[in-house]
Amino acid sequence: MKLLIVDDSKIIRSRVARTLNHPKLDFVQVIGMAQNGVEAIDLFLKHMPELVTMDITMPEMDGVACTEKMIQINPDCNILVISALSDKATALKTLKKGARGFLYKPFSDDELVVAFLELTAS
Amino acid sequence: MSDIDEKDIHSFVDAVSAYFYQTTGEKAEIRSAYLVESGVSATTFELIGHISLSGSFSGRVYFSASRGMVRHLLLMMKELNHTEEHLLDTVGEVANTIAGNARQHFGDTMEISVPVVTATTHENWLNTVVSPRSYVILIKWKQYKASVVVDIQRIAK
Repeated sequence: MKLLIVDDSKIIRSRVARTLNHPKLDFVQVIGMAQNGVEAIDLFLKHMPELVTMDITMPEMDGVACTEKMIQINPDCNILVISALSDKATALKTLKKGARGFLYKPFSDDELVVAFLELTAS
Repeated sequence: MSDIDEKDIHSFVDAVSAYFYQTTGEKAEIRSAYLVESGVSATTFELIGHISLSGSFSGRVYFSASRGMVRHLLLMMKELNHTEEHLLDTVGEVANTIAGNARQHFGDTMEISVPVVTATTHENWLNTVVSPRSYVILIKWKQYKASVVVDIQRIAK
């Protein structure tokens, strides 16, 4: 499965990519990384990934708007929101836009692996 | 001047504790929380990340740490790239996570910006930018110290 990582933080992008070294996630391949919603839409249209990890607070276009656009393009896309915004309203907003999962920052490596497995199982 | 209370500050303390525990598996020790007043300064370390608030709040939340602490944090995250760019990115991400987590307490009307990062050699840098009576939370993790400065105000309706 093709994965696009969207986050304005380099260390988070790198950490998410590293998690895919986990043996249970060897079917996932990173096809691109974007640091804002605008870059993400470009890469999404180019590669049509089945999986996306999505930050919320980003410059240019935030994760809520980006999620909405991606779901308009491909309603079957599996989007996992990874955000520090830990209020319920934000999680609900992104789920209503079509995201399939929400992982709060800070997260452990194990939590990220489980989140990926749950998302891909669905 | 800040108009936040002890419960508000506690939400930031909880966010700091959660960050270190979740990221490294080890708890950070909260050494003290105090007000910036005459003769009491906001402790500044070399690298600073801050988040600006808008919506029903104004002000900023700062995270300040030494390069040594941030390099160690990155190692705990298995990140081997320790360029200045990555170190600064890390303090920005910590500030973002602490402010974002605090929304659980303050609600989604507290809007947060993307992080802004700074490197300084000025040991009183934070004192030159924060408001009087901002709150400082001093943290110890392993042998390192860091600070979170909460300089926020509620916007009157």
